Amino acid sequence: MKSYAKKHYLLVLLAVITINFFLPRLMPGDPFLYLSVEEGEVAAAFSEEQIAQYKAYYGMDKPLYMQFYDYILKLLQGDLGYSIYYNTSVLEMILLRIPWTIFIVLCALFLSSFFGTLLGAISARLREKPADKFMYLFMVVFSEIPSFLLGIVFLFVLAAKLKWFPLSGGITIFAPHTSMLSYMGDLLHHAALPIITLTPAGLGNFYILARNSMLTVLSKDYINTAKAKGLKKWQILYKHALRNALPPIIARIFLSLGSLFGGAVLIENVFAYPGVGKLMREAVLKRDYVLIQGIFLTVAVTMLLMNWLADVIYKKLDPRVFR
Amino acid sequence: MKYPLLKVEKLSVCYKNTDALAVHNLSFALRERESVGLIGESGSGKSSLALTIMGLLRSSAEVHGSIRLKNVELTCLPEQELENYRWSKIALVFQNSLEVLNPVMTIGEQIAECIRRHLGLNNLQAKKKTTELLLMTGLDPLWAKAYPHQLSGGMRQKVLIAMALSCDPEVLLVDEPTMALDAANKDEIIKLLLSLQKEKGFSMLVISHEFPVISAMTSRLLVIYSGNVVEEGNTQEVINNPMHPYTRGLVYASPAVNPYRDMWGIPGEATMPSENQCSFLNRCSQRIDRCACELPVLQTVCEDRRVACTRGGIVTLLKGSSLCKCFHVRFREIMACSSCDIEVKAGEVTALIGESGSGKTTIAKILAGILHADRGEVFFQDRKVSGNSETSKRGGVQIVFQDALSATNEHFSIEEIVREPLDIIKWGTKNERLKIVKEALKNVQLPSDDLFLRRRAYTLSGGQRQRTAIARALVMTPKLLIADEISAMLDPSTAANLLRLLKGLQIAQGFTMLYITHDLALAQKISDKVYVMSKGKIIGHGPVRNVFRENRSICLG
Repeated sequence: MKSYAKKHYLLVLLAVITINFFLPRLMPGDPFLYLSVEEGEVAAAFSEEQIAQYKAYYGMDKPLYMQFYDYILKLLQGDLGYSIYYNTSVLEMILLRIPWTIFIVLCALFLSSFFGTLLGAISARLREKPADKFMYLFMVVFSEIPSFLLGIVFLFVLAAKLKWFPLSGGITIFAPHTSMLSYMGDLLHHAALPIITLTPAGLGNFYILARNSMLTVLSKDYINTAKAKGLKKWQILYKHALRNALPPIIARIFLSLGSLFGGAVLIENVFAYPGVGKLMREAVLKRDYVLIQGIFLTVAVTMLLMNWLADVIYKKLDPRVFR
Repeated sequence: MKYPLLKVEKLSVCYKNTDALAVHNLSFALRERESVGLIGESGSGKSSLALTIMGLLRSSAEVHGSIRLKNVELTCLPEQELENYRWSKIALVFQNSLEVLNPVMTIGEQIAECIRRHLGLNNLQAKKKTTELLLMTGLDPLWAKAYPHQLSGGMRQKVLIAMALSCDPEVLLVDEPTMALDAANKDEIIKLLLSLQKEKGFSMLVISHEFPVISAMTSRLLVIYSGNVVEEGNTQEVINNPMHPYTRGLVYASPAVNPYRDMWGIPGEATMPSENQCSFLNRCSQRIDRCACELPVLQTVCEDRRVACTRGGIVTLLKGSSLCKCFHVRFREIMACSSCDIEVKAGEVTALIGESGSGKTTIAKILAGILHADRGEVFFQDRKVSGNSETSKRGGVQIVFQDALSATNEHFSIEEIVREPLDIIKWGTKNERLKIVKEALKNVQLPSDDLFLRRRAYTLSGGQRQRTAIARALVMTPKLLIADEISAMLDPSTAANLLRLLKGLQIAQGFTMLYITHDLALAQKISDKVYVMSKGKIIGHGPVRNVFRENRSICLG
């Protein structure tokens, strides 16, 4: 990779770390207030001295720039610190929760990108025909429905009313699983609703992108060349057209991870799914700076990694991009 | 006569979305090992024709007529069967552009896939054949691994040729093979295609808008305008002696054909082909009423030449045959001209060149009817010229003399001089005449206010007097203007302005000019045809470039 690109990534990372540090501290309230308040009560149970002691313990009595300096120093050693509320290692907590989120996000991503691209390509081939027009209208409307709204509807209808899916959680607690298969089935059963809730928004996006991309490519001269060469229809469509239409779709797959993750935060809370999103909400409610920072950082770094991966793959797909 | 390999008959192509008729009732035949050229302006339907023959316009256009390859009617074949003919029997060297090749596939892959598809070879064999093809076009086989964007324009053209020849087609359609290439590359591609044709024996349909390419590559030429063939014949002859006004316009607009001449394109815009009028109507300088009510069909006008023109091709406006004139000066007889034949075609500038005293002015006067020839006859639009029969009417012949100072009465006012011919033939009312006078003066870039109109001629400079004389000729809206050395007494700048003005008027109004001069450089610059005179005889004539190439010594001597 070119050195300027490396510099860009480094710069973005630095900005992320900085924002990540200051943003939670701009929120009203502080962690010790929540630490000292029992659920449902208002008055603080901790005395001033106790709180001051806590603050000193977590280094929060120091000036802000010193705290920032300490934070960076610890980060460099790979230490994300200890949660103030839960009193456990942030890294461990995140590692425990993140697979759940990754699972539903990836599933939704796969479903939306695969079917979106497929439908988009079909739509492009049937251009201006009723099927294309109908599909286009349907997708545009469908993808505009906010996912949390969809989630609530699913929850009421599919889970509460029809009882096809469990109401909440990631797995049936205390259920005896005799085989790996039944365990996996249970996992999927719980994940199904969050996944199908997350999918539509992306599906519409991928559909529109794939349709446009295919339409552009199908009007290019080289498609005409391929036709003139007497190649079979499927050869033209899959070998010549799709390969040219794919790069922007691949790029979008990686870039849509961000919005998909944002969606997951809401959905996890709707379905009480034990992912990072739910953890984040808990952390924010408790003003658990260390935990918030840890989650944000992990998410941001993941996004950056995905961006970088998109760059690399894009270059592999399109030989015209300068290597 | 050899059996035609590809025969296109009454082919019409109409684009569905715009209703634009791209090709109209077009017929031609391509024989084995023959090369036929197709020339025309952009948008004349050349590329549409190539795509139609390949069957690529089926979804976007309506195609009528027949395209036969040997004895297979291609227009009737279902799409799937047509796929077997494409590329293996008829291949197309596409117009060179960056996007004509798939940007994400290597060159080798794109050539090999046709071989695999049509010749049924496996991967390894196809690769080997690809290497051979690249070598054949003079490319290093290493380029097979390259992507299209890594090639130069000339290399891409070679790849397109290699790709088109990959399945040894019988007919090769070549669309603008040298467009956007530099001179050296152009030459290389032309030579390459010709040598490959010799080796492989395919027939070629070369589509281009460049005469040098067509001239080098083809033996027969079709000139296409608005989807119609307007002229067909031997390539060299069509270029040397175009018989349709459109072909002539194309030839004259090409600096490659006429390096010295000023470039003038064909005025106006192409119109949609129509069923009941000539499509070139609005741009033609020899149109008559009949052109607007019938569509000309391709007719044989002479051996090996067919022209689609209601008037039978470019008309001969003025024709003088075996003109002789002898002057008796005291006891001597001077043969000013003897058996001179001269022809002036409509819409052209014909130059009559020769040294002083060679008889040029005599001929001019005979042609205008001012001087009576001892022998021989002059015809203007097939009417015999006698006396002032053609000069005394509008739309006839006018002559402008060399010496404007003696040709215009210096005591007349400008208005009187310019208006005089109208007064003589008693044309229109006084106001109408004045209007025409003013317009003519404006046309020759002279003032047309009352003050100037009342000025006496002697107050004018030589150049102004000459332009006044030209204005006097122009009020008669002549079809033919005989201009006898009209720029000789002008300074270079005024002369240049005047000549450009006349040329501009010619382009705009379509009149014809016989220009008499001893200035060879000028003749090369402004004229289309040249007659060379010496000692009362015409010693050479033809297109400017040929005459000056063949008779260099005579002209300079």
